[in-house]
Amino acid sequence: MSNAQIEIQLIASLVAIACAIPGTFLVLRKMAMISDAISHSILPGIVIGFFITQDLNSPLLILLAALTGIITVILVEYIQKTGLVKEDTAIGLVFPALFSIGVILIAKNANDVHLDVDAVLLGELAFAPFDRLLIAGVDVGPKSLWIIGCILLITIGLLFAFFKELKISTFDVGLSASLGFSPTIIHYGLMTVSSVTTVGAFDAVGAILVVALMIAPAATAYLLTTNLKRMLVYAICFGVFSAMSGYWLAHWLDASIAGSITTMLGLLFLVIYLFAPNKGVIAVLYREKQQRTEVSLLTFLLHLRNHSEEEERHVNHLNEHINWQKVRSKTVLELALKNNMIVIDNDVVSLTEKGNDFTSQAIDYIITNEDSKIEHMKDDFFLFRG
Amino acid sequence: MDITEYIKLVFTDYTLRTITLGTAILGAVTGMLGSFAVLRKQSLLGDAISHAALPGIAISFLITGAKDSNVLLLGALVSGLIGTFWIRGIIKKTHLKSDTALGLILSLFFGFGMLLLTFIQKQPNANQAGLDKYLFGQAATLIESDVWLMAIVTGACLVVLLLFWKEFKILLFDADYTKTLGFNTKFIDILITTFIVLAIVLGLQTVGVVLMSAMLLAPAAAARQWTNSLGIMVFLAALFGAFSGVFGTAISASQNNLSTGPVIVIVASVFVLISFIFSPSRGLLFKQIRFIKNRRDLQLHKTLAFMHHIAKTHENISHPHTVKILNNFQGYTRSTLQKLVHKNYVRLDGNMWSLTEEGFKTASNLYNQQSDNNE
Repeated sequence: MSNAQIEIQLIASLVAIACAIPGTFLVLRKMAMISDAISHSILPGIVIGFFITQDLNSPLLILLAALTGIITVILVEYIQKTGLVKEDTAIGLVFPALFSIGVILIAKNANDVHLDVDAVLLGELAFAPFDRLLIAGVDVGPKSLWIIGCILLITIGLLFAFFKELKISTFDVGLSASLGFSPTIIHYGLMTVSSVTTVGAFDAVGAILVVALMIAPAATAYLLTTNLKRMLVYAICFGVFSAMSGYWLAHWLDASIAGSITTMLGLLFLVIYLFAPNKGVIAVLYREKQQRTEVSLLTFLLHLRNHSEEEERHVNHLNEHINWQKVRSKTVLELALKNNMIVIDNDVVSLTEKGNDFTSQAIDYIITNEDSKIEHMKDDFFLFRG
Repeated sequence: MDITEYIKLVFTDYTLRTITLGTAILGAVTGMLGSFAVLRKQSLLGDAISHAALPGIAISFLITGAKDSNVLLLGALVSGLIGTFWIRGIIKKTHLKSDTALGLILSLFFGFGMLLLTFIQKQPNANQAGLDKYLFGQAATLIESDVWLMAIVTGACLVVLLLFWKEFKILLFDADYTKTLGFNTKFIDILITTFIVLAIVLGLQTVGVVLMSAMLLAPAAAARQWTNSLGIMVFLAALFGAFSGVFGTAISASQNNLSTGPVIVIVASVFVLISFIFSPSRGLLFKQIRFIKNRRDLQLHKTLAFMHHIAKTHENISHPHTVKILNNFQGYTRSTLQKLVHKNYVRLDGNMWSLTEEGFKTASNLYNQQSDNNE
């Protein structure tokens, strides 16, 4: 690995961490799309800042652009407050307008501006190591490494200082207000950090990747845990992993680094989305199927309990009476047998003592409107689940 | 270039005519379908779909190796639909919220599309240039066949819209009721979503991936302010969209270095801004005026009630009093007094005022009426 390669991976990883922290809170606060809006609408800020400073890495430009991000948030909130349109429409109206202004500004000054829209949207991580920071003539590393490093340090500092406030205002706005933490200040603080991170990172990785790095690791982590600290750690790990592996994918394909990091994030999300233990799609589908069978079983047992007549309990009759398909009734019947709920004697189905107990308890719960307790009851009675 | 000259040019110049027609049709169809997206609270879906269409364009180019815009748009349609249904899957099957799902699909698909685009650019194939016009759109590349395609899709969309008008409308406002009436809600839902995706994909070539969502939203959001009827809203949105297209093209054509897409979006945003401020029933300006007027009315009533309070104690209700005693009363101004005189509730005589018969009657019924209204 050459020096430049290490530096690129370092920058990518730092960006990933710096994005994952505010991203986690954005996802939890249902404001993920705000990060998309900010990432687009900082463009006019960047362009105007560039006219003033003539340097893409100057702190003034970062501040100006971050200010545009906050203006976006304020504008969106103002439009929402007027009640003329819904929240999401407000977001969708504000950022394309600002972005268009940015594009037009660039186009009108194309001749004397060394800046193009592609670079802003996509960034070029591969060139980041060539822009060195010189302090007193000594080369101390790539500029973007320093910028994103500073932003990351500030973010981590703020995270540790205000973790409790962030947590409480994310999950219970009312409680945090009554305890004396202003949710508004926390909200705008978070927005400021997100804007600064977006601006600091856009030059290295581009606006779209910033959105991906903010939302995807947090969303992936959210599928695995419901503990905030663990979610933060997972999100950071996913971000760094995708940054590293994305770099090598890009190296191998000779394609955009930002694009391949996003692709890695996407693959990671897809895998977790499908296979997450409790909340993955496969787990959810399996659980839904299980519950369906168990509800059928309950219906079946209730039917048996209601009919003492033999002809009502005959296997053939049951099949047509409850009107299930063959496969389904077979599954249900087998499950009942396995759990010792019924006995089949001469093709006549009858409840065992255990089945009787289970059914009468279930009826009690249904009558008293406490259906949710049936779920716990299943643990006590079932040897095998559906 | 003055306006008449430009208009003449629109009819004679092939390129300009094609572009103007194309953007106008595009604006109309996106405005029409955008109304449904806005009312269904799926405003940002457009943003997600347009980004999600990018890998489809790249993949269909990789497969066919041709730059035929119809084939590329077909790829965009497929990948846009995949993105849409994945978003639904995420919202339905996991506890992630819709904003997270949208942002996720948007950025992941777009990033993947960029990976493919850069991958294509490195391929030893001379044909690959020009794919990145789908990023920001280039109305100048529109040709007559593209406009025909747009017109056909718009026609189909119009037919479907008229055919399923009742179903769309009822699904929009009361989904549960629709289900109980026996309509196949899933089918209607998929139908309208597919058409929204189709409209977005059509616009990619003209306004590009990034700004397409504004084309969908802005005309509809503007139209929403002027009416409460769905039919009128759809019509107005189509009108606003078409005008944004025409004006945007005109502005960008009359200036150097202005790409059409962003200009159209800005024109559409101006429409929204005007509607937000000047719409008679919902607009901010008239709302403020109504607010001030209500406050004045209240002050007027307060003054009248105060006068009534004084006049009540006298046998003759028209007994004159000095204006001075009103001075300590909060809410009284010289203009409210003038207004009362104007309404013939009060008679002024030098520095003295007296209630008229009519004024006394109104004042004594003032709060009765209000309590009646409240009930």
